[in-house]
Amino acid sequence: MMEFDVQTWIKVAAFSGGGLAMGFGAIGAAIGEGYTAAEANSAISRNPEMAGDIFKAMLVGQAIAESASIFALVVAMILLFTNFAAESFVTVSVLLASGLSMGLGAIGSGVGSGFPAGAACQGMARQPAASGRLTTNMLIGSAVCQTPAIFALVTSFILLFTNFSGRPVSPTWAAVLGAGLAAGLGAIGSGLGGGLVAQASCEGVARQPLTATPVTNVMLLGQAVTQTTAIYGLLVAFVLMFKNFVPTDSIAPPMALLGAGLCMGIGAIGPGIGEGFTAQSTVRWIARNVEATADLTRVMLVGQAVAESTGIYSLVIALVLIFVV
Amino acid sequence: MGELGKVHQLLIPLGGHTLTFNLEAILMTWIVILVLTAFGYFATRGRSILPGPMQALGELFVNQLFGLADDALDKELARKYAPMICALFMFLVLSNWLGIIPHLEEPTKDLNTPLGLGLMGFFIAHYAGIRAKGIKAYVREYFEPMFFMMPLNLIGELAKVVSISFRLFGNIMGGSIIILVVSYLTYSVLLPPALNAFFGLFVGTIQAFVFTMLTVVYISVQVK
Amino acid sequence: MAIEGVDLVKAAAFLGAGLSMGLGAIGPGIGEGMAAAKACESIGKNPKEAGLLTRTMLVGQAVSESTGIYSLVIALLLLFVV
Repeated sequence: MMEFDVQTWIKVAAFSGGGLAMGFGAIGAAIGEGYTAAEANSAISRNPEMAGDIFKAMLVGQAIAESASIFALVVAMILLFTNFAAESFVTVSVLLASGLSMGLGAIGSGVGSGFPAGAACQGMARQPAASGRLTTNMLIGSAVCQTPAIFALVTSFILLFTNFSGRPVSPTWAAVLGAGLAAGLGAIGSGLGGGLVAQASCEGVARQPLTATPVTNVMLLGQAVTQTTAIYGLLVAFVLMFKNFVPTDSIAPPMALLGAGLCMGIGAIGPGIGEGFTAQSTVRWIARNVEATADLTRVMLVGQAVAESTGIYSLVIALVLIFVV
Repeated sequence: MGELGKVHQLLIPLGGHTLTFNLEAILMTWIVILVLTAFGYFATRGRSILPGPMQALGELFVNQLFGLADDALDKELARKYAPMICALFMFLVLSNWLGIIPHLEEPTKDLNTPLGLGLMGFFIAHYAGIRAKGIKAYVREYFEPMFFMMPLNLIGELAKVVSISFRLFGNIMGGSIIILVVSYLTYSVLLPPALNAFFGLFVGTIQAFVFTMLTVVYISVQVK
Repeated sequence: MAIEGVDLVKAAAFLGAGLSMGLGAIGPGIGEGMAAAKACESIGKNPKEAGLLTRTMLVGQAVSESTGIYSLVIALLLLFVV
């Protein structure tokens, strides 16, 4: 850390961060798009006359699933080509955190957005008359599924464009790194979960087009609750970025902040996916049994709240690590 | 390669602040506007039952896009907003295709254009929602289904604008940078035309379509 | 071992390029594999439509590839340009 000047380390962090951002960011979208192509193919084989519409729906769905990778590409380009002011060592950590945040955050949404597109293609083969409604549902579901990636993008941009150089180097280096990890990792579970719900809604609309309205409403509700863990990740990231920490020499406080970020980030994965499964199942059965909507919705909300509990424990421990320790 | 990231700007100081004009984006947007206006004039001049090529192209656009709007919105709303949707799609397709022509670049490469169009769609959707539901029901929707969901719903609405704009911007800007880099690395041999066709024409059309469809869907979600 | 500042930057660029392409290759591999697998299954169920199904598979795989291409470009940028 000693013989090299800040500018060298900043370039190191920028290049590593850029590589990580695009590397991680490419994973999810490609898997989601491949899944969509697979389902589209299966759907065309079932019903070759609808090939044109199915193909169009596949392309649109893939384009939406691509969005999170595009955000990662934008962040990678910014990291590679901007000349960052070489003022303090905190910038080194900031750049790395920014790349990690967007890179990791793109994984969940990419895979998640592929699910409703695939289900929409299958649904069109089954129920050609519902094509318009299916496309609309797919678009709404996929677009809402992107929200956790947006949170990661916002965190990434705040990290890039805020001036952190006035802060003490230690422990702020760990705070910003923790912020990037909290936002990035926290988006994985919610992205996947949201995609599962949207998939069930497209499948349900294809099965039973008359139930489209309750299915869409419960889908939006289920997705919104699934996203709460991503919101916790964003919250912890904001606290870590904007709180003023006292300068310190020991290694313990930075590790506490880094641990807080990791705790919230990794801890948000499970509840996100689990609540996604809950909402997916609820939406699927509302389509088959629309009179039971009220009961199903109630049980879904209770079940999701219980599944959220470990996410809340992670949030509590993260906040304790930031404020108390 | 040194040109990467350079934007020609016109700065006008005005009472303490500076007005910034990104010249390339403005010039390219004006080119798109002129071409579309000329197309509109020639397509509707001398309408006949047996359409000439311009009129046939115009009818193709109008049929497809009005059908799209009809699918998603109900009757009178579709008639109100379908012309805007048609114009949005034609503007975006032509903007994204402008990069194929040498020395011209896409106006959507500058973040201001997609962000402006996204905000326009956002305001139109919410205006339509308030018109359709009345202000009280509109505000009450933010508090559904539980009281503390209000900030979540608010953030969700803002996320929609960001995602729709950044998706278009990222695709077009990313595509143009990739074409630039690959042309530089392969000394402009063999690969660039194929890449241009893929990123410029194919991705440009799909992204224009996705942007338009999402705007229609957002309007339809707000008025329900 | 005396490391120059310039060397360290180059080292980081190479590392970033490697991470970018390495991680970036995971997704398209899995996605395109899934697409091809379902295509084979679909052709098995409906061999008459083999041409249409193959074309759809190829287009779907091409779109799935695009994120891999972005990673490749970032890697090439890190290797040769910055």
